[in-house]
Amino acid sequence: MAVRMIPELVSRPHVFCPGCGHGIINRLIAEVIEEFGYQKKMVLTLGVGCSCNMNDNWSCDVLQTAHGRAAASATGVKVAKPELLSISYQGDGDAYVIGLAETLNAAYRNTPITVFIVNNNNFAMTGGQMSWTTMPGQVTATSPQGRDPKKTGFPIKVPEIIAGFEGVAYVARGSVHSVKEIHRLKKYIRNAIEAQINGEGYSMVEILAPCPTNWKLDVKKSIQWMEEEVVPYFKLGELRERSPR
Amino acid sequence: MKKMWKGNHAIAEAAMRAGCLFYAGYPITPQTEVGEYLSARMPELGRTFLQAENEMSAVYMIFGAYACGMRSMTSSSGPGFSLKQEGIGYLCANNLPAVLVNVQRWGPGLGSLDSSQTDYLRDTRGGGNGDYRVIVLAPNSIQETIDLIYNAWDLAEKYRNPVEILSEGSLGQMMEAVEFPEFKTREEDLGWTWDGTGRDHKKLESSAKPAATKAKIALMTENEQRWESFQTEDAEYIIVAFGLPSRSAKNAIKQMRARGEKVGLIRPISVWPFPYKAFEQAAAASPNLKGFISVESTDAGQLVEDVVIAAKKAKLGMLPVYGLFSGQHIPKSKEVIEFYEKVKDGTEKEVF
Amino acid sequence: MEIVFAGFGGQGVLTAGLIVSEMALEEGKNVTWMPAYGPTMRGGKAYSVVKYSDDEIGCPDMEDIDILVAMNEPSLEYTSFLKDGGTVIVNTDNIPEDVEIDSKYHVVKLPCLEMALNVNNNKGTTIVAIGAMIHKCELFSCDLSKKVLYEIFASKGKEKYAAGNEAALMAGWNAV
Repeated sequence: MAVRMIPELVSRPHVFCPGCGHGIINRLIAEVIEEFGYQKKMVLTLGVGCSCNMNDNWSCDVLQTAHGRAAASATGVKVAKPELLSISYQGDGDAYVIGLAETLNAAYRNTPITVFIVNNNNFAMTGGQMSWTTMPGQVTATSPQGRDPKKTGFPIKVPEIIAGFEGVAYVARGSVHSVKEIHRLKKYIRNAIEAQINGEGYSMVEILAPCPTNWKLDVKKSIQWMEEEVVPYFKLGELRERSPR
Repeated sequence: MKKMWKGNHAIAEAAMRAGCLFYAGYPITPQTEVGEYLSARMPELGRTFLQAENEMSAVYMIFGAYACGMRSMTSSSGPGFSLKQEGIGYLCANNLPAVLVNVQRWGPGLGSLDSSQTDYLRDTRGGGNGDYRVIVLAPNSIQETIDLIYNAWDLAEKYRNPVEILSEGSLGQMMEAVEFPEFKTREEDLGWTWDGTGRDHKKLESSAKPAATKAKIALMTENEQRWESFQTEDAEYIIVAFGLPSRSAKNAIKQMRARGEKVGLIRPISVWPFPYKAFEQAAAASPNLKGFISVESTDAGQLVEDVVIAAKKAKLGMLPVYGLFSGQHIPKSKEVIEFYEKVKDGTEKEVF
Repeated sequence: MEIVFAGFGGQGVLTAGLIVSEMALEEGKNVTWMPAYGPTMRGGKAYSVVKYSDDEIGCPDMEDIDILVAMNEPSLEYTSFLKDGGTVIVNTDNIPEDVEIDSKYHVVKLPCLEMALNVNNNKGTTIVAIGAMIHKCELFSCDLSKKVLYEIFASKGKEKYAAGNEAALMAGWNAV
């Protein structure tokens, strides 16, 4: 019987909360990188938020950058070291709120980097404030009456915007709320990373993830809420498929 | 043979010759010609020019590239350089080298496109959150701009610290006859860079940083003071000026010396670290010193504060320090002479 | 020596300054050329300041002008910076012939555009003014002026304008 080992890249213990989606996502990305043999040929650029936690559990070249600027920093990495995998890993607050310009413009230029954005519908690290992906009616620390789309807009769908840019290599949205989706997500991650390795252009995957701590729900109820509210709004699947070569 | 070159184009060509491989920037007058020139010149030599979506993005592109060891630069002016401050702080926090160019325009906010030195205090004090300093070099001619920028990357890599060239609108726009040095490249591995293998970046634990920052600032202060002293030996008054105002001041001093006035000049070339040693030398050589006059293109005085500190360090703290602040224009030689006369006859009050 | 070329944007006052800068450089002088840029050149007010000297040059901006080349009427405001005994070249195609200028200045009035058109060089207006200025103020030799003027355009692959430019230069030269 084959034994699946924890990837060397993330073999150190992480500090994410119980029930958090980051741990699964970390592992999937690490598995794919190791499957391609790039663990010593990569720079992982981290945004600010819960992604900061990854400074300690990833054993590779990790570049901690500023809130919102990971795509720009990863662009610089790719300019300097085009032979390396340049990956940015950010949350929705980082990439879609303060860093919306940098996120969209790296995609708009079709910069050949890979961007992973974990969407858990809130600013988690700072204690659960409203993000642009917070669901209508969702209670957060800065939307205590529940998010009112009339006043604060509807949740933003950035992958749909990016999929509309000419030339980008690959755009998908996955989720970790079920085993089936976790398997699909790994395929998306593989496509995104392979697109960069093959020089196809910009690739990104948004990943829906639970945040039981800040949602103030237990893990089971968190998954249930994702199924009922989040997944129907943020449609899963490949929004821009890779061109056949 | 010397040729006429525009200041901003000279910055760009000198960067090419210094081995700069990557430029990212955003257009803003009066420095836009730096990026325009490089957008043509970089690809000619297989190097990279990127027009960024904003000033922050530009500085973080440099941040990512220099983390990987690539000689990189960005440039801007006025409000654009303000936007870069966050990223400059990140460069310093990570002990990353970089070369930054600020072709100053006047005023806060949008300000105006006029030549000025109103970014002096921000740029010499770090500019962002936290305690750090950037080595700031302020040329007063286009040839000196070339010479300073040519060595800026070596200096930045030596200390793992950004180096800024503090230019001025008119210095970027004007032309002078100049010569360029030969092309050079840095071949050796810096050792600490992000090369993809996960090697040691020689980062410090947070608890070790305050002492390391203090030591680094002290080391740069000791080693990197640059200045020009002109006729300070027997001076009764010393004018302190950098950049274009220093040219007016020197011209004025020559005219005043011809009339027998005992006036000299200290021209800081490094405005951070400030050339305290120049003041110590002047204190030893000029027993008859009666005061200092700061001549600067600011509104309310910025350089003047460093003159006071430098005077105090040179044990000349009791001397009066005057300030000629010319606002949106380069002070003219005539203005400097008139100001000096008012200082001498007691009608001009000291600032400190 | 401090020379200011002033006029409307598009009249060639920046290029005129560059041409004279190159001549001074050929003579082995220290030279600065500074353009009006940004807000100053909006609204049609363009100028360039050329300074040259054997000594170091101080402030590159307008201070005490030796020669003002005024290509339009608003440019005459810069006479306030003109030294006593300085020279004004007045382009009478854009400035009334009877304009009053203080008698403490030397004044040369020429219809520069008309003279340029007479030698079939519709872009030679400021070059006519340069020719007149150099001869009147005895700045450079005729040979050096012609040589540098030729080289500036030849270095940009524009030799075809060489004959027309020299004709404009000499039209100005011979008019004073």
